[in-house]
Amino acid sequence: MAQKRGISVSLFSTCLADTFFPSVCFATVAVLERFGVDVRVPLSQTCCGQPAFNSGNRKEARRMAAKFLSVFQGEEHIVTPSGSCAAMVKHEYPVLFRDEPRMLSLAYHVAGRVFELSQFLVDVLGVDDPGSTYRGKVTYHDSCHLKRGLGVADAPRTLLKAIRGVEFVEMEESDRCCGFGGVFSVKYPHISCRMADRKIERILETGAQVVTSGDIGCLMNIGGTISRSGYPVRAVHIAEILAGSEGAVP
Amino acid sequence: MEPRVRHFVRNSEKAFADRQLQVALSRTTAKFLENRAAAVAEFPRFEGARESASRIRQEALDNLDAHLARFITEARKRGAVVHAARDGPEAREIAARIAKEEGVSLAVKSKSMIAEEVGLNGALEADGVEVVETDLGEYIIQLAGEPPSHIIAPAIHKTREDVSRLFEEKLGEPYTEEIPALTRIARRRLRDKFFSAQMGISGANFLCADTGSVVLVTNEGNGRMVATLPRVHMVIAGIDKVIPRLADLPVLLSLLPRSATGQALSSYVSVLTGTKRAGDAEGPERLHIILLDNGRTGILQGKYREILKCIRCGACINVCPVFQSVGGHAYGWVYPGPVGSVLAPLILGLPESSPLPNASTLCGACGEVCPVKIPIPGMLVELRGDEREQGLKTPAEVLGMKAYASVMSRAGILEAFQRVAGVVSALLFKERKIERLPFAFSGWTERRDFPAPAPQPFRKLWKRQRGIRPWTR
Repeated sequence: MAQKRGISVSLFSTCLADTFFPSVCFATVAVLERFGVDVRVPLSQTCCGQPAFNSGNRKEARRMAAKFLSVFQGEEHIVTPSGSCAAMVKHEYPVLFRDEPRMLSLAYHVAGRVFELSQFLVDVLGVDDPGSTYRGKVTYHDSCHLKRGLGVADAPRTLLKAIRGVEFVEMEESDRCCGFGGVFSVKYPHISCRMADRKIERILETGAQVVTSGDIGCLMNIGGTISRSGYPVRAVHIAEILAGSEGAVP
Repeated sequence: MEPRVRHFVRNSEKAFADRQLQVALSRTTAKFLENRAAAVAEFPRFEGARESASRIRQEALDNLDAHLARFITEARKRGAVVHAARDGPEAREIAARIAKEEGVSLAVKSKSMIAEEVGLNGALEADGVEVVETDLGEYIIQLAGEPPSHIIAPAIHKTREDVSRLFEEKLGEPYTEEIPALTRIARRRLRDKFFSAQMGISGANFLCADTGSVVLVTNEGNGRMVATLPRVHMVIAGIDKVIPRLADLPVLLSLLPRSATGQALSSYVSVLTGTKRAGDAEGPERLHIILLDNGRTGILQGKYREILKCIRCGACINVCPVFQSVGGHAYGWVYPGPVGSVLAPLILGLPESSPLPNASTLCGACGEVCPVKIPIPGMLVELRGDEREQGLKTPAEVLGMKAYASVMSRAGILEAFQRVAGVVSALLFKERKIERLPFAFSGWTERRDFPAPAPQPFRKLWKRQRGIRPWTR
C-alpha cells in the first residue's frame, strides 16, 4: 500500500457531517491516515455557505465564504467528504467575490487546494486500492456537484471496485439528480420526493444492499426516503465504505 | 398566452395526478435523451462545435445593433418588408394590419414559439382570420385548445391514445392508435388549407445578417410549404435570432438538431431569401418580417445577456429532472424548463415569475448539454440573488438566513448549538430520525425522514479523541 508520508491535509468536515454524521468525518480521517497522511481539523471552521449561496442570499454567503477562507488559507490540501461543499468553494467563491479583487485572489488560491475525498485519494495520493474490506452488493449514486461540478466520476468507482468483499453494481441513471438540491427540497418537497422516488426505483432495480455516494445532502435525501418507506437497502457514505467502519464513532 | 407562472406549485401537483401526462413525459424525454446521447457520441467534434457556436452567438449579441441593421438592409434589398415591434401588443397590431392589408382570411402557420410569446393567433382570429397550425404537434394541441408544453415537441404531454381520441372527437375520424395513420389524417386535413391559404406564418430559427435570409429548421416539411405556397409569407422573429453570416449556419446546424431530437440534421432546412423573383418556380410574392424586441434589448444590456445566445433546441428542457417530473404546462408560460425559468423572470418580470428560478435543484444537467454553453444554473442562482435584493423573499427566509449566518459566524456558537441539539435529539429521537419537522420544513418530512443531530458533534468527539481541550477553537 502506498504510504505518502509528509503529506498533510486539513479536514473540511462540513457542517452537515459534523452535526449529523460524525462517523463520516472519522471514516474520512481513518482512510487518509491509512495512507500516512497527517490529518488536521481546523476547529474554527463552520459552514461553507452553500445553503445561503444557492438560495440567493449572497450577503450571508459572502460572510460564510470569508470565514471559510480565513480558516483554511495557508493549508496545503483541504479534503472534504462532500462533492457539493468542495464545488461550492472551488466554483462559487470566485462568483461571490467577483467584485473584490483581494478576496477573489484568495478565493482562487484556496479553491485550487480543495479536494473531495475520492478525488484526493486517486488523483493526489495515487491510491487505486483503499485497502479495506466491506461486505455487500454496492451501487453508486453520482452526486450532481461531484460529477458535473468537479468532474469526478471514475475515482469513487475505482476505489469501490477495489474493496475486498464489495460486489459493485451500476444503477441506471446514476447521475440523475436525486432531488435534494438543498433549499429546493424544502421549497418544493413534492417535486423533490418525486425525484427521490425515481432514484430509489433505480437503486432497487440493482438489488444492491447498499447505495453509496460522496455527498451528505444526497444521502440525507435518499436515506430519509429509504428509512420512511422501509426499502431493503441502506444509504451509506462512501468514506465509511472505504474505511470499512460504517457508523463508528469513538 | 396568459402567464400562470405564479401557480407553479399548484400546476405541478396537477401534473403529478395526471397519469397519462406522466406516461407521455417519461416516454418522450427518455427517447429524446437517448437519441441526443447517440448523436453526440457519433460526432466527435461536438465539443469544438459547441465552442464555435457559443462564440458565434456571442459575437452576434455583442454587436446586435449592427447585425440587425445589416439584416434589415439586406432583407429589404431582396423585397422583404421589415417591421419592428417593441412588445407583444405592437407585434399583434402589426400582424393584424398585415393580414388586413393583404386581404387574408385563412393563414397556415408553421410552429413558432415567439408567436406564442405574443399571442399571435388570438390577435388574428379576433380579426376574423382563420389560423391553422400545420406542425403535427401544434395541430393536435390547437384541436385540443391547449398551449404547447415543449418548445420543439409541443404535444409532448399527449400520448398517441390521447391523440386518437382527440381526432375521433373533433374530426370524426375512426379511432386508430397507429401513428402513421394519425399522421395521414392530419396530412389530408391540412393539404387543402395549404392550397387555399392566402398567407403563411412562420418563426425563424436564424436570421442571417449578410444575406437577409430567414432560416427554418423543420422535420415535417410544413415550414417550407407555409413559406412558399401562399402568396404572402409573414415571419415573426426575436431580434436575438440574428447571426452575422450565412457561413455561420453549418456549425449551428451541426448542433441544433443533434441537441434537439438527436438527428444529425433535420429533414428540412430552408434558407429563405427575399420574395419570389422572376424565373423562380416558387416563393411568396410578399414577404413581411416582424422583428420583436419584447424585453430583449433590456436583457442584452444586463448580466443575463448570454441567455439570448439560446438557439431553442430544448436540450436543457429534456434533460431537466424537474421538467421530467412536472411537464411544460406547470411552468405556466411559453418557455418551460431551465431556459424558461431564466427567460420568464426577464421578460415577464421577477415578481410575476418568482417560483421558477427556485424550481431547480441546480443539478447542472442543463448547463452540461447546452449547445451554446449558456451557464443556466449560475443564472438561476443569480436570479435568486436578485429576489433577495428586490425584497421578494419571504420574511421567514431572510430571517432564517440571518440566524443561520449568525450561528455559523463562530465555531463556538455552532458547537453550543450542536451540543444542545445533541442532547435534545438523544432524548426525543432514539431511532436517530426525525419524522416531523416544524414550520416551513414540514414538507421535507411528509414522505421522508430527516436525520436527527448526532448526540455529540464530530468536533467534540474529535477533541476528546485527540486530547484537545474541550472548548478549543
